[in-house]
Amino acid sequence: MKATKKPKRPAINSSAVHVFDILRSVSDGAEPAGVTDISRRLSLTGSTVFRALTTLEASGYLSRYRNLPQFELGMMPYLLNRAFLNQFELNAASRPFLQQLAQETGETVSLNVRLGWYSLRLSGIYGSRDIYHRDRLGELALLHQSLAGRAILAFLPEDTLPELMLFLKEQLGEAPSADEWSDLQKTMQIARESGVHAQALQMSPGFSAIAIPVRDQTGAAIACITVNGPVYPSNNIRAQLEIRDGLERIIAATPERFVSPFAHIPPDKMRLQIPRTKAVGTPSISNVDS
Amino acid sequence: MAQKNSSIENREQNKATARILTVLSSFASNIREFGISELSQHLGMTKNMVYRAIKTLEEQDYVIRDPGGQRYQLGFRVLELQNTFSPEPTFRTLCAPAMQQLHELTGETVSLTVRAQDYTVFIDGIETRQPGVWRLQIGALRPLHVNTTGHVMLAFLEDAEIEAYIRRHLDDVPAKDDKPLDAELLWQDLHKIRQDGYATSVRPGALPMLSLALPIWDAENFLHGAMSVGGPNERFGPRFDLLLPQILTIINVLCQRTRLYSANAAGSEITL
Repeated sequence: MKATKKPKRPAINSSAVHVFDILRSVSDGAEPAGVTDISRRLSLTGSTVFRALTTLEASGYLSRYRNLPQFELGMMPYLLNRAFLNQFELNAASRPFLQQLAQETGETVSLNVRLGWYSLRLSGIYGSRDIYHRDRLGELALLHQSLAGRAILAFLPEDTLPELMLFLKEQLGEAPSADEWSDLQKTMQIARESGVHAQALQMSPGFSAIAIPVRDQTGAAIACITVNGPVYPSNNIRAQLEIRDGLERIIAATPERFVSPFAHIPPDKMRLQIPRTKAVGTPSISNVDS
Repeated sequence: MAQKNSSIENREQNKATARILTVLSSFASNIREFGISELSQHLGMTKNMVYRAIKTLEEQDYVIRDPGGQRYQLGFRVLELQNTFSPEPTFRTLCAPAMQQLHELTGETVSLTVRAQDYTVFIDGIETRQPGVWRLQIGALRPLHVNTTGHVMLAFLEDAEIEAYIRRHLDDVPAKDDKPLDAELLWQDLHKIRQDGYATSVRPGALPMLSLALPIWDAENFLHGAMSVGGPNERFGPRFDLLLPQILTIINVLCQRTRLYSANAAGSEITL
């Protein structure tokens, strides 16, 4: 008798797809979520959501909020986030330079890198001041929508901007208007001429942030240092640039070490849902000091 | 019958999902890439199970192939799993599960300590419910040379830093129950700690107390702090050799997590 061939199981586990949808739903919420909220949000049955929440809790991806039947992110997503950031050699290599900058300015200093069409906050050091700008590591923004991203964009080859436009239009369906595009191009031009990109912080009157591109040996930006603080005295910028130059020398010595671990992925393949932040609205694009 | 099959299928699916999450959790370390065989060996799963888990994770970009195409690295989709409304883990929250595990394993008092310049500071702990309690004084400052956790903090400093510490404290008047600093004895102890990777001591007195202190490492091979477990020698001592391998396993798992973070200049807290 001929043995019946066992039907081949699909390689992808469809139940896991739901589990990740549920995990993303909890991670995107402003409040801890329960079975009913999630099943309504994702149109899944209560029992599917319950089983998924139980599995996610047992694996450390979710934890129970104050012993209530509501869930918030557990430890594991934070650990994965940190492990992700540690994949970039620039993370550890930049730390002494960021520390020096934070010490000299007393302000929060961050390092952002390019990830596809996004800027990603990779590393940060708090300054010594009691009131400080709190940045979150792993924060994402489309390149043209953040100070750091625009500083990176300004120091990339000229054809990058039209490519970004195409991505925004075709992949995200949210291309900037002609006026916004024209403003962005002007901002890029000013940043290129001055070597830095600065911006007044709308949410904190009297405060500004400055973004200093970090370039490879070809002159293309691979990262950007940002310093957040009171309106920036221009005579300090030279000192900040010297510290940046020190990091650029390290990169130039062994450029292969600092190639992004995601350089082999085409930028258009990286479509990310940006987690919601507390701040509402995007700060204006204005060079207050360059 | 159909319902029974469906229920079995759901349980099975959840087991498979739990395996997928376990495979993804393996990437929460400073090892950047894994092959299927390595993961299978590391997790005690069959290669087929790992392969299926990886395929599901790859499909959703939670893992991606490395530039060579043969191995897997953490994918960019994990960046979506963030909640900017909730606080990031701190050294205390990272260590809390391990403290609980050590307490459940030994039944003794467990404490968490960080260094503040020349002192140790207790920042968290769980006291035993048994008689003979090692009292935990959260916030108490003790010079590094007077207790076991302090010795762990000292042992992994540069020799020149230790010498400088000894010079600063050689003439200190010891507090009640403390001995004066003996540089030769201290160095002997520090060398042994470097060799063993942990410190043990028995504090004499009416009820001699046995203490074990273990370093908690950061991303750059500095210490975040130390965790210690201790209790009356007559209770903890006889079980010590049996418990030590399990204690070390708990601490190793914890250090895989704490090594993802860099300690700040004071070595006391996880930076942002």
